[in-house]
Amino acid sequence: MNETDAINRDATGNSNTKVFLFVFLMLCALTGISFWVANSYLMENRVVGWSAMMLVSVAKALLVILFFMHLWWERAWKYVLTIPALFMGVLLVLLLVPDVGYRYLTYSKDRRENAPKPVVSDTIDVNPANYEIR
Amino acid sequence: MNSKANPSNETDATNGGLDGGSHGHIELKYQPAVPVPKGKLAVWLFLSTEIMFFTALIGTYIVLRFGAPEGSWPTPGDVRVLEWLGAVNTFVLICSSVTIVFGMEAAKQNKAGKAKSWLFGTFVLGCVFLGIKAYEYNSKFEHGIHPGTPRSLLYDRADLNYLSAVKSNLDAEILSLEKEKTALVSESVVPHDHDVLDTLVLIRAGLVQWTQRTVGEAENPMMRELALESLAHQINPRTSNPRVEAYLASENADVKNQIAELMGQQETVEQDVREMQERIDVLSEQLKAEQDDARKPDIESELSAATEASKTAATKATELVDLLTPLENRVSAYEQFNGLHEGLNEHFHLKLPMVIPSGNTWANTYFLMTGFHALHVLGGLVAFMVLLMLRLDRSRAGLMENVGLYWHFVDIVWIFLFPLLYLF
Repeated sequence: MNETDAINRDATGNSNTKVFLFVFLMLCALTGISFWVANSYLMENRVVGWSAMMLVSVAKALLVILFFMHLWWERAWKYVLTIPALFMGVLLVLLLVPDVGYRYLTYSKDRRENAPKPVVSDTIDVNPANYEIR
Repeated sequence: MNSKANPSNETDATNGGLDGGSHGHIELKYQPAVPVPKGKLAVWLFLSTEIMFFTALIGTYIVLRFGAPEGSWPTPGDVRVLEWLGAVNTFVLICSSVTIVFGMEAAKQNKAGKAKSWLFGTFVLGCVFLGIKAYEYNSKFEHGIHPGTPRSLLYDRADLNYLSAVKSNLDAEILSLEKEKTALVSESVVPHDHDVLDTLVLIRAGLVQWTQRTVGEAENPMMRELALESLAHQINPRTSNPRVEAYLASENADVKNQIAELMGQQETVEQDVREMQERIDVLSEQLKAEQDDARKPDIESELSAATEASKTAATKATELVDLLTPLENRVSAYEQFNGLHEGLNEHFHLKLPMVIPSGNTWANTYFLMTGFHALHVLGGLVAFMVLLMLRLDRSRAGLMENVGLYWHFVDIVWIFLFPLLYLF
């Protein structure tokens, strides 16, 4: 089976090389795109910028998994092994969202006082001219 | 092995041994559920567990990061992350994915030599990746960014806990430097890093003890917060912070005014001391010259009053010096340290505690994810070394493919780690 498979692909070997080179160029270009997004106006709304970068990463991962890992040419068994694993992983992450993702929405007063303090603080705004020492 | 290629076996198996032909001889046939070689199936099963493993790590990081309120997560500059270095590592791994694919293709075409050189290229690229990773880890350790206690120097906010951490760290450092110095002096060696000790002592007096005092005496909680924040800012400035800089400048002006006032007082007190001394001298001369015993007690009582006054003035003078010393330390600390844009830690190569919001959470997740990824890279390199000892002809193409599948998975993990750790 292994050998017949190899021979089958030998017949289209040249086009495979072209596919791999194309995927390589696409991966480089996509890396450049995520680098560009990180320094562009898209980051003004951080969720938009982050989502764009994550989408680029998903595209890159799909390119690698489909062509370098040959899933594009495999039979239906590929779904059996990848989809449930992916589902479990995504489910685990979603389970964390209420407790971890929204953690700061339910901080107690104590917790808020000891939480990491943002650099830009709106609550404390002091004009140095308005106070004296001691 | 392939069920489609062998339909007759399939009918045998579905009938099992139930048909009447062969009594007593149930012929069991292996029917693979998945039409791929066993090794490849094993690798894919392993990879599907790996998908869950790394999704858990990366997903937790994503949830932590997205859930952090704006500004309460380290910026790349805070934690010494160089974006371009991450991009270089991404490129290195992409290249290594391509080289191993070409290596496998060469093995399939029975070109063993070519396959081996492609595989060697992949091996070298993996080593380059790990080398860059080691450099990055080292630059983090050098700046006090460690995965958690006891080595971590990161604090979530500038509070009293942070202040006491700075103080104890500084005390320990000064103590060890003083010991070193006395040891050197007793060996009659001229100590060379005098300056470091002097700097640390000035930091302790002019920054830490001053902040302790300000915090203790401040009635306004905002003032307390500003004083602590300015200490953190002087040790490790995260961004330019106009609020803190304005605070420091105005405080410095205020302290200078106080010094001028105290200096004026000091002058009058010193004048008093001088006058009293003169009066004492005059009176004791009088006492010696006086012949009349009846008048002596008067002069004596005057003399003792003058001595008393002189003592009070002298006490007041030392009190003034005690008041002046911390103020002067503060001013000289401000003058010496305020122009340093990179902060005390960076400028003097110190390791004082730093305030980086969520810095420890970041460090923990960073080292956990990149550490597990680096271990996987290391595993891949070991597999490459084993493969490089074999003859990589057509019979080994399946093996090459299996190792390649693993290596591509490692690449995919990095594809997600790069934007998350370097660009977010």
